[in-house]
Amino acid sequence: MQDKMQDKNKTQVLTKARTGLEHLIKTAGKSLTVAGTSVARRDDPLKVTGKLKYGADYPDEGFLYGKILRSPHPHALIKSINTKKAKELEGVVAVLTAEDVPGRNGFGAIIPDQPVICGDKVRFIGDGVALVAAESEKIAHEALKLIEVDYEPLPALFDPRDAMAEGAPKIHESGNLLSDDKMVKGDVDAGFAEADVILERTYQVPFLEHAYLEPDTTMARLQPDGVMLVEGPMQAPFTTRRNVAPVLGIPINQVRVRQIHMGGGFGGKEDSPIDIGCRAAVLAWHTGRPVKISLEREEITIQTAKRHPMIMELKVGAKKDGTLTAFQGVIYDEQGAYASLGPKIPPAGGSHVHAMVMMPGPYEIPNVKVDAYLVYTNHPYGGAMRGFGAPQVHIAHEQMMDELAAELGISAVDIRRKNAFKLGSATATGQVLNQSVGLRETLEACAERFDWDRRLAECGWVDQAKTKRRGVGVAMGWYRTSIGTNGDGCGAAVHVHEDGSVLLYSGITEMGQGAFTVLPQICAEELGIEPGDVRIVQPDTDLVPESGPTVGSRSTTLMGNAIILAARQVKESLLDTASMMLMVPTERLEARGRKIYDRENPGKSLGFAAVAARTMASGKRMIGQGWWTPPPPSLDGHTGQGSPYHVYTYSTHMVQLVVDVETGEVALEDYVAAFDVGKAINPKALEGQIEGGVAMGLGYALMEEVVLDHGVTQNPSLQGYLIPTMLDVPDIQPLILEVPNEMGPYGAKGIGEMPNIPATPAILNAIAHASGGRVSRLPADPEKVFWAIREAGGPPQA
Amino acid sequence: MSTMELSFKLNGRALTLNVAPDTLMVDLLREDLGLTGTKAGCREGECGACTILVDGTPMNSCLMPALKVQGREITTIEGLEKADGSLEVLQEAFMGEGASQCGFCTPGMILTATALLKQNPDPDEGEIRQALSGVLCRCTGYRKIVQAVKAAAKARA
Repeated sequence: MQDKMQDKNKTQVLTKARTGLEHLIKTAGKSLTVAGTSVARRDDPLKVTGKLKYGADYPDEGFLYGKILRSPHPHALIKSINTKKAKELEGVVAVLTAEDVPGRNGFGAIIPDQPVICGDKVRFIGDGVALVAAESEKIAHEALKLIEVDYEPLPALFDPRDAMAEGAPKIHESGNLLSDDKMVKGDVDAGFAEADVILERTYQVPFLEHAYLEPDTTMARLQPDGVMLVEGPMQAPFTTRRNVAPVLGIPINQVRVRQIHMGGGFGGKEDSPIDIGCRAAVLAWHTGRPVKISLEREEITIQTAKRHPMIMELKVGAKKDGTLTAFQGVIYDEQGAYASLGPKIPPAGGSHVHAMVMMPGPYEIPNVKVDAYLVYTNHPYGGAMRGFGAPQVHIAHEQMMDELAAELGISAVDIRRKNAFKLGSATATGQVLNQSVGLRETLEACAERFDWDRRLAECGWVDQAKTKRRGVGVAMGWYRTSIGTNGDGCGAAVHVHEDGSVLLYSGITEMGQGAFTVLPQICAEELGIEPGDVRIVQPDTDLVPESGPTVGSRSTTLMGNAIILAARQVKESLLDTASMMLMVPTERLEARGRKIYDRENPGKSLGFAAVAARTMASGKRMIGQGWWTPPPPSLDGHTGQGSPYHVYTYSTHMVQLVVDVETGEVALEDYVAAFDVGKAINPKALEGQIEGGVAMGLGYALMEEVVLDHGVTQNPSLQGYLIPTMLDVPDIQPLILEVPNEMGPYGAKGIGEMPNIPATPAILNAIAHASGGRVSRLPADPEKVFWAIREAGGPPQA
Repeated sequence: MSTMELSFKLNGRALTLNVAPDTLMVDLLREDLGLTGTKAGCREGECGACTILVDGTPMNSCLMPALKVQGREITTIEGLEKADGSLEVLQEAFMGEGASQCGFCTPGMILTATALLKQNPDPDEGEIRQALSGVLCRCTGYRKIVQAVKAAAKARA
């Protein structure tokens, strides 16, 4: 079935006009030996023995321990700070306030609007007002208690709509509206006039915590040559470097950032290392001693970036047969106190921009209007978290589709069949999807594997006493590869050595997703050697080329392409040598299985290592460099029309669950998640991404919420902030389809973020199907499900 | 602060140390003994990354005063590797099934599963999930961990 789909799609692709061909790296049609196989994870032996060193596992090398004094007020002026007593405490080496920041007193992944140390005002509970470095963590804690700060509280804002209101207190001088964007296609009024049914709904989602298990750690030390070295688990070493340098007032080349293997990131370790990296560097700068800042779990929950909360208003119109005629939406995207990764980066980067583009769902709708607002409040700040704006709007549009189907009396699957994107569809931004569109295939494959029709027919009361009802749910999704900004280039270098071993230089980080396994696979495939022959260099800004951040489901695709280009450059040099050694023209040479041979006479061959040694001895190129940038994104600033992202991954999820209508408790029974991934470079690692992503989406649906009351986090721990355990997650069946992406390495598209996106609405839809209760304000914990069932007039009786 | 003498068996070797009474087991292992395979994820007994075996029973070392292990037999992840460098069946199974992603929960998972398989050599899926539910994983969705435990049980049968 898979093969048939591929062939069908390929034929269709050939008939369509395409753009961006100059970005095409031809990898299609190559018969693969290494890419496409489930090569074991490179770091597994270290992980199962406990030998892998995470940030906190590095031995104490005379570190000072850094701590941050945090604001207890959500919004206040700082009248004065007295650090005298803290400085006098034995073991305290430095107590720093705003005037001690040597350079720019601000950091941020996009806009440096967050003070390294707040000087005049604080904007959320957790804002840093002083830094301490001491001989022990305990002393540093004590010192924090001795700092006296006099605050003058200001009125605080906790709802983006209040913050947008005229006359609202300004959180930042520039105003509270950080960004507003608009997407307009066709004529929504005409579209609604054509509709037989119009529905209007509002959905609301809270702040979420990444809850990566490894707490953040950073180490900063001023080296003898004056270079500031910052080390830690992080997703974006280059972004960290870009911030540390101006904060210290030194050039970028005077800062060196080394990444340490991460114990999970999920987007959260994109900007928290900037925060503590800058602060540790300032302390190291002042003390001349190495400084370590380790965040405690409570600090992580209070201080670091979260998934953006959104209030989403939707209006959708459809004909009786389910054909969508119009979609209108408004997004209030709450940024919180600081810009972090939220704001727009032209043309199509930014949380609200991304949410806006995705909001109408993966459906053909002729008339669309969406307004998106990104607004400062006095809450913690929104950053990147697996899906960056997309999970929120999927929760809205996928529930809306089910509500619409129910209103029209057609099935949840049929309404999606009717409207889903196919090859040649135009999105709400007017982008024509001209290649690699496997959405409908995921729907059909998922329905078949899940046995949707049978399961649907078998739903209903589970027990005689009518306390439990079984239901099924479906949701679809789409997600971009790369981040929609102009500067999304990615560099790699491949160094072949005279013994045939290879070093791969890449700035893409390993956080558990498998980059350090998949990227060497791509390199080995291209050079015709084994993955074990390639060692990937731990990202270090002094060693690896600029690769951008490890975010946006961009690593395999963008870095994969850069690696292919780098490998090809050095391979050319090797084939040139082999050609002379074998007296065979280079066009006839094939590199595969550590051999280079004559395609027309495979017996005529040389070992890869022998060719490498001769190439080296001949003084020829041994290093290849590659740089790949996706086709330039476009999105008109006034109409929101254009091609914001170069390719999309598609997915359909189906779930079966049981709701206890007396208690509101939900138990998942079965789950199938189908994806069009373009090409699975490492199927087992890919399955792992899917299974883990679904579990994360489950947490979003049923239990996760950073509970805030007047800006105070009520559940700053894993006791209060629940994530799914092994008992909450069902046996998730991943289903991988491959509709090749002609822009991707061997056809691959991004997959890191897609898996959790449809999971949340699929579960919410199944809850509604089982119990009649529709939860429009997440999470659907037992209490909300209980009341949603009552609001719906009780569970269906049939 | 005065210290107290503590004797216990760690990964098969008898040890006697002087420890401050407020020392937590996780810190004794990680900081004093350099055994960083035991992870500290939350320091509140929730995540299970700090799981060690105390006389064969999985326990959170982050809530445990070190003095509590007086006379006990402690196993950490470092204790599973045999002298010849070969690994336990469970460790092999975790690699074979792709059960580690970031790997931060892996030591706690493997030790908890070790205790399970010792008590119940052929657990069904429900028993595996129940036994391992105290260890959190944010990466894998648990499926491949369950498969690894099943595979290890099968390999040992």
